[in-house]
Amino acid sequence: MSEREKIDILTERVLSRFKGREIDPKEVSKRLKLLIHEFKVPEEEAVRTVTNYLLKELDVSREEIVTESPIKSISEINRAGEWVSVKAKVMQLWDTDSPNLSQVGLAGDPTGIIKFVIWAKSRKPEVKEGKSYLFKNVVTDSFRGRMQINVNRNSDIIELDEDIGLPPREMELIGALVAIQQNSGFIQRCKLCNRVLKKGVCAVHGKVDGYDDLRIKGVIDDGVSYYEVILNQENIEKLTGIGIEEARRIASEKLDREFVLEELRKKLLGYYFRISGSKGSRYFLVREIEFLSPNVVEDADKILSETEKLMEEI
Amino acid sequence: MDILKREIARRVFAYELSRSNYATAESGERSPKYILTPTGVKCNRVFMVGVLLEKEEVSPDSNFWRIRVSDPTGVITGFVGRYQPEALESLLEIEPPEIVSIVAKLNLFQGETRNFLSIRPESINISDRKNRDFWVIETAKRTLERVKRMKEDGEDDIKLALDIYNPNPKEYLEIVRKAVEAVREEAEAFAKGEEVEAKAEPVGVIEEVETEETEEELKDKVEKEKVEELKLDSFEFDEFEFEEEEWDLSDILDEE
Repeated sequence: MSEREKIDILTERVLSRFKGREIDPKEVSKRLKLLIHEFKVPEEEAVRTVTNYLLKELDVSREEIVTESPIKSISEINRAGEWVSVKAKVMQLWDTDSPNLSQVGLAGDPTGIIKFVIWAKSRKPEVKEGKSYLFKNVVTDSFRGRMQINVNRNSDIIELDEDIGLPPREMELIGALVAIQQNSGFIQRCKLCNRVLKKGVCAVHGKVDGYDDLRIKGVIDDGVSYYEVILNQENIEKLTGIGIEEARRIASEKLDREFVLEELRKKLLGYYFRISGSKGSRYFLVREIEFLSPNVVEDADKILSETEKLMEEI
Repeated sequence: MDILKREIARRVFAYELSRSNYATAESGERSPKYILTPTGVKCNRVFMVGVLLEKEEVSPDSNFWRIRVSDPTGVITGFVGRYQPEALESLLEIEPPEIVSIVAKLNLFQGETRNFLSIRPESINISDRKNRDFWVIETAKRTLERVKRMKEDGEDDIKLALDIYNPNPKEYLEIVRKAVEAVREEAEAFAKGEEVEAKAEPVGVIEEVETEETEEELKDKVEKEKVEELKLDSFEFDEFEFEEEEWDLSDILDEE
């Protein structure tokens, strides 16, 4: 896209909010160009600045102008700093102790789940768990690598009559365990807070007594996407036959706790699994996991007949 | 703080991988390198389950190993050194030939006359036949999906791959067929073996011994077939292999 086209598109965006009012497009373009090219202001800020200037110039209030951000589904939200509208159901409200925040929680639609933040300054009526809303003109943001939506003064929250569906709770995955991450294996946890101890030290409580646990933080990959999973003691014992007792035996025999992880790695890494569970915001929560036992002949026949078909088509 | 997205481990047959010689232009200093394959998938990482055919220390006591890994379609060369500690540790314990699963990064060595793609395993683990069979099935599926998309107009990566490699879709369909037929036959033979065993169980002791034998024989036969198949592979696809001696490996070693 050329610089000129970009300015034209941004000009059009500014003008679209002032429908029915006489504004010289050249004046808008000139101001945008100055801000973007001369002063190197980010595009979004330039648009906002010119819009604010026009509001003042025409003496209209923000409420009077058209503010229609495009309606997006949650899975489409992947860039920070965009104005969007989202139809979603409030799934969870979290406790907030900050006076700047009115409400924080999770909202979902059939494509995904996203965190929302309603700032106290926005002065919006409170939302309720289980109800569906149109979050109009909210701003996308990225916090610690996760997307969220922020409700500000210019946003609207409109309660909907329809019930917005949520992503399917139970999913089935088939994929290979391609990596086992740090803090996996025969670990020790803090007796006070259950955090994993590093060299007998808890990040919060310092040097404490720990208790033994088995867990694996891993990555399941199906060649199209990947899922981070956590396997607990029960999952691990079912798959490998190594439970807490066996892990203790191995560790004391080899005088090394790391050896347990080595054993687990040999039994699990690079194997295919069938997993059912639900997708959380970062981890896939495993309900059941088993080694995949594929029906190779059946799968092979399907592929062979499809290959035949494609051969003829090409 | 942005959490970096993990690179997905792509599924590509050795045949296709060994013909990939195009690295995408880097847009930023820290942007990952991708290898574009003939059917148009950009890979930074691959996952494969195949047979470790050979391992050989590049020079004595260098602790830098060259490995050759085969699937039913061809062979790919890999290098494992001290920068892949996990893979190195496992490799030292594995004696080829052995079915292994490998998660690897790709490395394109750009020579004066031609490019040479090798894999850099992050992890290697002994695997089994069942797992290998499913990998072939899964990789066949992914390859078919890509061949289908070659016919449609659209994705930039596929267009670019068409420009660079001008691949013949039939060639890749042939590869899929060959690979799938190979595992299908073997799986069928195994399934029959299990059936015989199941039927024989309630019968007398003598017969049990007999079935054990037949099962043993069957396994033996399948193993032999596997070896035959491998031999066949290296013959059929040898025309594309490099004479390793031709290569001045110091380049690769230096790069480490």
